[in-house]
Amino acid sequence: MGIMAALIRKELLLLARDPHGLLLLFVMPAVFVLIMTFALQNQYAMSQEVELDFYLLNEDGGGLSSAFARQLAAASPLSRVETEADWQKMQVLAQADEVKFLVRVKPGFDDLLKDRKPAVEVLLAPGTSPVFASVAEARVAELLNRLYLRYRLASLPGVQSNLDAQASDLVETRSLYDNSGEFPSSVQQNVPAWLLFAMFFIAVPLSTTLINERQQGTLLRLRSMGIGPVRLLAGKVIPFFIVNLLQVVFLFLIGLYLVPAMGGDQLTLGENPEGLVLVSVAASLAAVCYALLVAQIASTIEQATIVSGVLNIIMAALGGVMVPRFLMPEAMQEIGNYSPMSWGLDGFFDILLRNGTVTDVLPEVAALLGFAVLMLCLAVWRYRRAAY
Amino acid sequence: MISISQLEFSYSPSASPVLKGIDLDIPENALLGLLGPNGAGKTTLLSILAGLIPCPAGRVFINGEDLSTTTGRAAAGLSLVPQEYAFYQPLTVHENLTFFAGVQGVPAWEIDERVRKAVVQTGLEERLGSRAGKLSGGLKRRLNLAIGLLSQPRLLLLDEPTVGIDPHSRHFILETIRQLRDQGTTVIYTSHYMEEVEDLCDRVAIMDHGRVLRYGTLTELMAEAPQTARRREFSLESLFLELTTRGLRD
Repeated sequence: MGIMAALIRKELLLLARDPHGLLLLFVMPAVFVLIMTFALQNQYAMSQEVELDFYLLNEDGGGLSSAFARQLAAASPLSRVETEADWQKMQVLAQADEVKFLVRVKPGFDDLLKDRKPAVEVLLAPGTSPVFASVAEARVAELLNRLYLRYRLASLPGVQSNLDAQASDLVETRSLYDNSGEFPSSVQQNVPAWLLFAMFFIAVPLSTTLINERQQGTLLRLRSMGIGPVRLLAGKVIPFFIVNLLQVVFLFLIGLYLVPAMGGDQLTLGENPEGLVLVSVAASLAAVCYALLVAQIASTIEQATIVSGVLNIIMAALGGVMVPRFLMPEAMQEIGNYSPMSWGLDGFFDILLRNGTVTDVLPEVAALLGFAVLMLCLAVWRYRRAAY
Repeated sequence: MISISQLEFSYSPSASPVLKGIDLDIPENALLGLLGPNGAGKTTLLSILAGLIPCPAGRVFINGEDLSTTTGRAAAGLSLVPQEYAFYQPLTVHENLTFFAGVQGVPAWEIDERVRKAVVQTGLEERLGSRAGKLSGGLKRRLNLAIGLLSQPRLLLLDEPTVGIDPHSRHFILETIRQLRDQGTTVIYTSHYMEEVEDLCDRVAIMDHGRVLRYGTLTELMAEAPQTARRREFSLESLFLELTTRGLRD
C-alpha cells in the first residue's frame, strides 16, 4: 500500500465512522434542497402556480362594481375568497395572513371611476411580499382602467370588445433558458446552492480530524515517520475532494430523481453538463483548501466548528445560497461578489440556468482556483509556523 | 549509536534556551533512562533526535548520520513513541497498525507480517478488531508501543510509556522494552517513575533547566552522587531530588 493510499484510506475510514460528519455533509444539504425547492417553487413558476388570495367587500353594489368584482376574481393569479366578515373582521384576518390583500369597493364606484378618483381601496396583509403586492395592485389598476375605457368608448362597440384582450394576447413572452420555452424551476437554483453550502461544510470534519491529530500526538508521530507537510495536506485534500464529488453526485441525483418523484420539477443539466464538472472540481478545491486553513487557524474543535459554521453561513447568505441574489438590492449583490459561494453558484447557473458553455464558466472557475491557491498557501504557511 | 555534542536549542531567538550545551554519547544497545522534572528539556531532546525539530547549534549523530543534514525526517531506523495515545480512536487496532505500517512505506506484501509481529510483541492478538478508543488505558499504551515497533527500529524513543496504567500493563510494557533491548534495540526512555528506571535502565541521564546534570550507569552515578545523597541509602529518587532541588515545578 502506498503512503498516499494509506493516508486517503484512513481519512475515508474516519469519516465513515463519524455519523455527525455524514449527517452534515449529506443529509443536511439533501433536506435543504427538498425543503427549499418546494418552498420556492412558486417564485419560479408564478403565472401557473401562485394564487394571491383576497377578500373583497363591495359597498357599492351597482352593476359596474359587481362587474369589477367578478372580473377581479377571474384575473390570474388572483383568487377571491368568499367571506361573511365585515371590513374590520377582514382586516383582522388579513393581519393573521389568512389572505394576501383586501379590496374594498367604495360607495359611488361609478362616479369615482368616471372622475378618475380612487374607487377602490386595497389593503395588503403584512406578510405579502412587495412582488405579490405590485402584482395585486397592477391587476386592480388594469381592471379599473379597462372599465373606465369601456365607459368612455361606449359608443364604439368594436373597440370595446378589443379591450377584453389579455396580456398573453398582446405580448409574447418566453425565457431564454432553453428552446422549449420553459422557465427555470426552483430546483435549478436550490441544488447547486445547497450543494455549495455543503461542500464548504467539509471544514468541520476536516478540521476535526486535523485538530484531533494535533492534540492526540498523531501528527507528531506522522511527522516523526517522515510525513512532510505537502504529503500530509495532500492526504487531507484528496479524500475530502472525493467526498465533495460524492456530494455533487448525491445532490444532483436528488434533483434528477427524488424531487420529481415527490411532485417537484426535475433538474435539467443544460446543454453543456461538462461545465458542471469543471465548476464542481474548482469549487471542491476551494472548499477543501479553505477547510485546511480553518483547521490550521483553530486550536480546538469547538473553535473550528464555530468559525467554519459562522463563515459558511455568512458566505452562503452573501453568495445567494439562502436568498437568490436577484432578490437582493444592488449593494448587497456587489458585496456578494466577494463570496466564493457566489462564484461557484454563478458557475453552476451559467450551465443550469443560462445554458452556458465551458467557456462561460471559466471566469468563475479561475476565481475559485485562485481562492484555493491562496487558502492552501496560507494553510501551509500556518502549518510550517506551528510545526516548530 | 548516538553522539550529541554542544547541543543548544531555543524555540525562538528571544526566548531563553530550552537545551544548553548538551553532550551525550549513547552506545548501541543501551537502555537509557532520561530523567528530569517537567520543563527540563527531555521532550525537546527527544523531538530533536526524532527529527521533529532542527538542531541549529551543536551536532547530533545517529548511527553516523548527521541530523543537521536530515532536517524534517527521522534518522533511519528510529521510531518515536509519544506520550499521548498517538493513534486514531475511531479505527480498530488492526486498522491503526495497517495504516501506520503503510505510511512508513512498509511494502504491501509485508504489512500483515509486521502487524502480526508487533501485535505478538505487545500482547494485542485478541484485540485486533477492537476500536482503539474503546481499549483500556493499558491496552492503549500497548497499541501506542506496537505502532512504534512496526518499523522494526534500531533506536526506540519512548516518552513516558507507562503513564497512567495499571501495574500489570506496566509490568508487561517494561518486560517488552527489556526484550527489545535484549534483541539489540537501543532504547531511550523518559519517565517520572524512578524505581522503574532504576530497575530497567542500564544508563541514566538526569536533566534540569536544559542541561544534563549527570549521565552514566547507576554505579557511576552513585560514585558521583553528592555526599548528602550518598549518606542515605542510595536511591535514584534521592539523587534526582538532590540534583534538581526539591521545589515544586508545576
